[in-house]
Amino acid sequence: MDVPAMRANFAKAAAAGDEAPLWFYAHLFLSHPETRQLFPVSMAHQRDRLFAALGEVVARVDDLDSLVPILRQLGQDHRKFGTVAAHYPAVGASLLATLEHFDDDWDDRLAADWTAAYELVASVMVEAAEEMADQPPWWDAEVVAHERRTVDTAVLWLRPKDPLPYPPGASVSLETELRPRLWRYYSPANAERPDGELEIHARARPGGPVSTALVRQVVVGDVLRLGPPVDHLRFDPDSDRDLLLVAGGTGLAPLKAIVDHVARNGPARRVDLFVGARLEDSLYDREDLARLEQQHPWLTVTVAVSEDEHSSLTHGDVGEVVARSGPWTSREAYVAGPTAMVDDTVERLLRHGLPRDRIRTEVFAPSRPGPDVDGKVTT
Amino acid sequence: MSTSTEAAAWSGGRRLTPADVRAVRFGRSSVFHPGYDDTEVDRFLDRVGEELARLHAEKAELRDRVHDLQARVEGATRREAPSAQAVGILAAAQQTADQYVAEAEALSRVMTTEAREHYEEQVRQAREKVGAMIQAAQEAAARIAGQDAGAPAAGAGADPRAAELQEQVVYLQAFSQACRTQLRSYLEALLDDVEREWGAAHPDAVPAAPARSRTPRTQPASGSSAAGSSAVTAARREEPATVEAAAVLLSEDSLRPDVPNGPAEGAARPTR
Repeated sequence: MDVPAMRANFAKAAAAGDEAPLWFYAHLFLSHPETRQLFPVSMAHQRDRLFAALGEVVARVDDLDSLVPILRQLGQDHRKFGTVAAHYPAVGASLLATLEHFDDDWDDRLAADWTAAYELVASVMVEAAEEMADQPPWWDAEVVAHERRTVDTAVLWLRPKDPLPYPPGASVSLETELRPRLWRYYSPANAERPDGELEIHARARPGGPVSTALVRQVVVGDVLRLGPPVDHLRFDPDSDRDLLLVAGGTGLAPLKAIVDHVARNGPARRVDLFVGARLEDSLYDREDLARLEQQHPWLTVTVAVSEDEHSSLTHGDVGEVVARSGPWTSREAYVAGPTAMVDDTVERLLRHGLPRDRIRTEVFAPSRPGPDVDGKVTT
Repeated sequence: MSTSTEAAAWSGGRRLTPADVRAVRFGRSSVFHPGYDDTEVDRFLDRVGEELARLHAEKAELRDRVHDLQARVEGATRREAPSAQAVGILAAAQQTADQYVAEAEALSRVMTTEAREHYEEQVRQAREKVGAMIQAAQEAAARIAGQDAGAPAAGAGADPRAAELQEQVVYLQAFSQACRTQLRSYLEALLDDVEREWGAAHPDAVPAAPARSRTPRTQPASGSSAAGSSAVTAARREEPATVEAAAVLLSEDSLRPDVPNGPAEGAARPTR
């Protein structure tokens, strides 16, 4: 396999920008119309993702040790999209046609190399997907409760039809029929329960298709699809160190799941939970937090508002409030929320002497397409 | 040239070729020519040969056509690659659709963001307004209470939350009414005493008597002395001024002296 020649060839297609993936998908849908239904109405984000993932593969094509895990993850992740082994040759043919279309120096040797490379990639992905055959590609989950908490926040309770095991603090991707083929990650706000129900915190982002549908359109009885859980926060359930949990916005969800886990499974440890919001009105879960704090003597909940001069709550950015309530140097910290809040909080904790390896974070960005695992294509 | 071997060859199953027919020779059975006419047989055999040749040619042509068509049918099932033109058209259509979706999303983003800002601004303004009203009411209540040493102090610091505000407004309403009633009762009792005892009345000596409060109210200060009368009228004239700020909270009716205010009297009647 002439890797440099393949890279040079791929670079030509990549240089065409959006044109190349546009051409690829048009070719795929024309030659295999049945594949169109695997994709959302708007393909704009899809195109970015495809070439990002392909670029990743091409960059590592001579480093199988790092490429194979990515491909396996990709293959397993694609199950929920309804991808089956029969789709792989179709994609391969269109990929080759695209690479040929954008390269005037295309020759039989390149074609043979790419064919071989694609067959390898596809076989790894298919194999990894088939290893998961004992697990459903997605879980149907019925909405059993839907509470509008604020003007743009709702708390949903979902009951998966089959058991969906997940570690505390993990997130699951989710799709609603109202927005077909758009998957977004949400963290259950509870640890795994005997009845399997999941508490989901959804905030309608302006212009966000999935989040607005979850908050304003989904009703009790609707069935959502859930993808396999992804643990981005990486909560360590075996540690017995006291915890410091810092949440901004709906970043509360995975941290509430950790509180729930400690409550259900122990071990006994002090937990300080800080919840930050811009306005007092946007604190959507205070009642439940108050209940938890009352039930569990080891739990302290502090709510802070950053931009609400009329509020009687603690004022300030949540990171600042945490920092002045320290010291936290002996704690294990989990921080989840918007990018700026996470960065600010982590920086303050580091400055106050908390070691980096005891801080774990999850960023809740608007329209979060998925955890930014290398080369991972979601939605 | 005997043909027996050739005739045997035909019966052996070998295919009859036009050459076979042309080459065939029939033997003569006797010298007197009892068999077929040589010329006719030969002519016929020529025609048979021609016919066979034509059929063979036709068959070969048909076979070629069948092969050709078969190849075409197989090619069709092997999916023809889409033409560059078709790909271009679909790509453009997809791009257009994507743009529309993106524009719709952007519009919805702008609109919801603006609506949200508007909402927050409204809530903020409403809070400020309510805060100001509460403060005004408290000040008014404090002033009214200040005129009666026995009245309890006004409520503690304002809480801006709506439910509590509602409660506080109701409380202050009742409280200010009670204060006014109490003040009125006191003044009226004072008037009575003034009428009876010419200013010898001491507030402590005056029982708060709601039953009495109503009867003289319709004709305040009637038949009183100049001193008593001026004190009372001053107090009554002062009332609207003191509760001016509270008026935003209290309806016109509740300010009119002839409206019965029983519940307020019962709720916040001073103990003395």
